[in-house]
Amino acid sequence: MKITLDAIRECLEGVIPGNIATCAADGTPNVAYLSQIQYVDSEHLALSYQFFNNTRRNILASPYARIAAIDPHTGAHFRMSLHYLRTEESGPLFENMKARLESIASHTGMSGVFRLLGADIYRVLDIEQVPGETLPSPPRRNLLAALRACAEQLSAATDLDALLGKLLDGLERQFGVEHAMVLMLDEAGGRLYTVASRGYPSSGVGSEIALGDGVIGVAARERTPIRIGHFTAQYSYGRAIRDSLARQGGAGIETEIPLPGLPDSCSQLAVPIMACQRLLGVLYVESVQDLRFGYDDEDALVTLAGQVGACIRLLQQAHEQPLLEQPDETGAAAVAEDPPPRHGGQAVSLRHYGENDSVFLDGDYLIKGVAGSIFWALVSDYVDKGRTEFSNRELRLDRRIHLPDISDNLEARLILLARRLAERKAPLRLEKTGRGRFRLCVDRPLVLVDAAP
Amino acid sequence: MPLPLLDAASSVFIAGPVSMNVAASRPGGFPALSRAVGCRVSSDRRHVTVLVGAAMAAEVIEGVRRNAAFAAVFSDPPSHRTLQLKGKDAIVLPAEAGDAALADAYRAGFAAVLEPMGFPPAIIHAFLAVPADDLVTVRFTPSSVFQQTPGPHAGEPLGGSA
Repeated sequence: MKITLDAIRECLEGVIPGNIATCAADGTPNVAYLSQIQYVDSEHLALSYQFFNNTRRNILASPYARIAAIDPHTGAHFRMSLHYLRTEESGPLFENMKARLESIASHTGMSGVFRLLGADIYRVLDIEQVPGETLPSPPRRNLLAALRACAEQLSAATDLDALLGKLLDGLERQFGVEHAMVLMLDEAGGRLYTVASRGYPSSGVGSEIALGDGVIGVAARERTPIRIGHFTAQYSYGRAIRDSLARQGGAGIETEIPLPGLPDSCSQLAVPIMACQRLLGVLYVESVQDLRFGYDDEDALVTLAGQVGACIRLLQQAHEQPLLEQPDETGAAAVAEDPPPRHGGQAVSLRHYGENDSVFLDGDYLIKGVAGSIFWALVSDYVDKGRTEFSNRELRLDRRIHLPDISDNLEARLILLARRLAERKAPLRLEKTGRGRFRLCVDRPLVLVDAAP
Repeated sequence: MPLPLLDAASSVFIAGPVSMNVAASRPGGFPALSRAVGCRVSSDRRHVTVLVGAAMAAEVIEGVRRNAAFAAVFSDPPSHRTLQLKGKDAIVLPAEAGDAALADAYRAGFAAVLEPMGFPPAIIHAFLAVPADDLVTVRFTPSSVFQQTPGPHAGEPLGGSA
């Protein structure tokens, strides 16, 4: 049977370093070690170009190479003939290989030595299995079965909160992923904010990361999955957050919620959540185990993230339907409301800063950005008009709320706000009262101070 | 007579428990590649002989028989120290008495080096398995030696002509 490239992807992970043979123009052979082999598609793979060495010189003179790779589980040994096509010096594949090369370098004590200059793309001409002995393949989790079970659960979700819950449940139960988070894109701010997480001491909901920072930020910026198998300082949270702070010139530290994350994370996989070619957010999973996520995990999670993206889009569209089809969302303001019960106790001070819509509760940071402007509109209406009942529809049209555009994920902001209030044990909370409707529950008197200029 | 290209330390290094891969060239600019399963250096350090499996290294053997051009790379996984030797006069010879034992010792030694790095010895023994009656050797005179430890100086010749 013909051996296909996708069937031997495990060998390309570089656990046992591969080799490459090339020929100079005069036929002199050259043999070297490969730091990285990257599966591109069923007919192509990419090798890292790091130095202008003999291999590089040869391949530019004569485009044929022979490489060997060994399966780290069975010892099966494969050889491939390759034809060099081109070098990519930027873009998704390049960024993916750059992150992985950095992780390989950290793991092998080569940090600062390995630097990706380009991704050399080769067509695979043939694959042969080298005569030798092999060990039986260890039993593994069936990822297709896990994907199916997870997908079935997702399609039952009727709102974003439930969708995210089912996603994190499914990852844990079906894929054995114990540490995961979902971040949504704030397109206007060029940042991602954490909206749900699983498996961390603190949820980190509301924490932010800039596009391009760390594994998550690069995956979002390049719209490509980034998967690494060993710890690397270059792509670590600490680094990403320090860089992010440096760019802000040190400002905003008091509004910084730490990103959740494993301090001793080894394997990391960040997958963009896309819908209709638009980035909605990132699904991120990690593990303290080296090489925890393989090509198959990446395929499964990319497929799952595709479904999450489609579900988010469908749920959004449901909320954008004409009023007649949304009886639950209509006329929220027209419904006669009983005046809210007034509570005694010590007043809570809420201070709003207009420049970034940050809100502080009794002097402690609570929330900022779009979710901050929503919160401020809600508490203003509560104090000024005694309102407690609200609908997503009216918020979407409310000029006080700085939604980037109509298709922005308002629901994600409300989830973020509700969770922040709950985690801060604030004397206010949001309660769902129906589809697209919720109630602001207030336990103590509020004193609003608008520090807006 | 000029001094041998290979110094004493390098000849000990390449005959030790290091990763060994060899290449030759086939017609049309196609390279040939195989792992090797042992190496010995002549007492005057002028000739290097690598052990290969006839089935595993069939295309390398064919290339050497055609044009005698040969390359062999030796790397120590824990330190990344890597040397590549090239020769223009390679010939294929039958294995000698003691080569089967040399290959066995090489496999055991290399597996012992890799085990602390997390590689089960069974895996190493599997992909380096060559039946004793399948062993052949390639002997060549190093005409150039390259330092190939990863880094910007990788590929620089240590001696001979590139």
